[in-house]
Amino acid sequence: MKTLKFTFALLLCATIFACSSDDDSAEALIGQTGPLTLKFDNGVGDQDFIFGTTYNKSNNESFQLTNLKYIISNVRVKDSNGNTFMYPVEDNAFIISEANGNNAGEIYLTLDNVTAANYTEVTFGVGIDQERFALGAEGQGDFLDEASDEGMMWSWASGYKFIRLDGTFSTTSVTNEPLNVHMGSVGSSLDNYREVTLTFPNTVIVRQDTSPEVHIKADIAKVFDGATTANFADGYDQVHVDEVETPIIANNINGMFSVHHVHNN
Amino acid sequence: MKDLQNFKKIVVLTLFVFLITNNSEAHEKKGSCSNHETFSFFCDLCGCSTSSGSFGFGTLSNANFVGVRYIYQNFESKNGIFENSPISKESFNTYQLWAQIPINNSFYVSANLPYQDLTRNFNNVKENINGIGDASLIGWYKLPFYKKQDENTVDFNNEKIASGHSLQFGLGVKLPTGKFEQRLSDNVNPGFQVGTGSVDGIFSLGYNYGGNMYGVNTLISYYLKGENKNNYQFGNQLSYSVNVFRAFSTQKMNIMPFVGISGDVYNEIEQYGETLKDTDGTIVNASFGSELAIEKFIFGASYTLPLSQSLFGDNVESKQRISVYVNFAL
Repeated sequence: MKTLKFTFALLLCATIFACSSDDDSAEALIGQTGPLTLKFDNGVGDQDFIFGTTYNKSNNESFQLTNLKYIISNVRVKDSNGNTFMYPVEDNAFIISEANGNNAGEIYLTLDNVTAANYTEVTFGVGIDQERFALGAEGQGDFLDEASDEGMMWSWASGYKFIRLDGTFSTTSVTNEPLNVHMGSVGSSLDNYREVTLTFPNTVIVRQDTSPEVHIKADIAKVFDGATTANFADGYDQVHVDEVETPIIANNINGMFSVHHVHNN
Repeated sequence: MKDLQNFKKIVVLTLFVFLITNNSEAHEKKGSCSNHETFSFFCDLCGCSTSSGSFGFGTLSNANFVGVRYIYQNFESKNGIFENSPISKESFNTYQLWAQIPINNSFYVSANLPYQDLTRNFNNVKENINGIGDASLIGWYKLPFYKKQDENTVDFNNEKIASGHSLQFGLGVKLPTGKFEQRLSDNVNPGFQVGTGSVDGIFSLGYNYGGNMYGVNTLISYYLKGENKNNYQFGNQLSYSVNVFRAFSTQKMNIMPFVGISGDVYNEIEQYGETLKDTDGTIVNASFGSELAIEKFIFGASYTLPLSQSLFGDNVESKQRISVYVNFAL
């Protein structure tokens, strides 16, 4: 029996040591990269966003949309040691278009070759910052064409539309009038680029053999009922280059994102 | 090592001997139901995740048996993060080989080997996974209670009279004989797995009473879930159940209808040592059914309906469970 006891004790020790060996040590991760997917999921409050559905907002107003797009750029993630991984700038602008959603209405933004690490937060900008815009038309790479095709550009001088909502709205006095919110920076005179940082509810583990997903909820209701209430009756049915209106929409949009959950696979 | 080998041999031999010698006792019919045993079983839906240790009550009437059981369960799961996200429907078919085998008067072993056939229907696309599920093995110690003897009377036959009350203590293990697939863990219903991929400990305490007409089976079990090789660990689970049955005996058969309450409490799932949100839950079920014993065969059926539930952030809803079985008394 004594032999048996020793055998068990040895086995136990071996198991404990085996478990505590850290194969995710920093050295083992050097040179390792993996993909990271941000899943954007548009909703209105606790409802999934669906084209053509009427959504109520404050001030007894309602809206429905046929077009819903926004630009995400400068995506970067911070790991548990405080290091930031910035996705290559030249590829770091994306159009999130509801029309491109899968059957669950999720729009995938996949970052490839992300440095292997345990990430705790993501930061991204909504729209295009002045620095990128200052690179000129040549400096925009393929994104300029993409944005033009998606209707996310005014003229080059005016620049990008950061968010584009098209549809109709109703108030207590009018019904189904056209709604167009095209908010951008308006060249370099007005900077409506905003950044948002979201903390992950669970660590996002990027490795060569993993493909984690971050499920980001975008609450479209916040565009109008965000930090500042924007009523259609007060002129927010047509938002284009106005110096007063566009920063309010930009600030509202900044607060519409949240991370619902993450998947580590 | 030699010790260990000998030990194994002895266990196997003992098991075998008791299988033969206890044969006669197991199917002896005393009154209606003095042999009632509670059954704790197990993870009917693979992972012990949405399913149930509370699904215990295969056998009301017999202590020892080998048998087959079929369980049908269905669920509805929300596929998305919104109130109006689309629903997927999951139907789980489980075919089990199960047995309770006596070792001696005080000890017995219960075993369960499931085959899982799980289907998920989302937007009219069906996904099916099937295969051998996770096997369970539990060793039980039974502590019967005896009627108090009158101290003034002389006890001639020197034999204690069973009171019908007994306690059972179970200690078991669930083995990762079923396959755990990481890709499936993304589903809203984490139970959509053939196996958990983990070794789990099972701790059970049962109390039974079997009178001539009525009987009560109660069981409380705790499942200590292990971490699988995908760094995924299902939440520990507490299961309980109370069943009350009535026995009607004729010369040829024994009919035992029963009603019961059962429930499960699930802790949150952990992955990479972190707790995952909305992966805990509780469910309380009502069941009714009946058993029919004819000679050595026991036929059983039960229907289970949730009374209240809150599973995985209310994203998963258990609809119903149906169980039928045929056992052969040993």
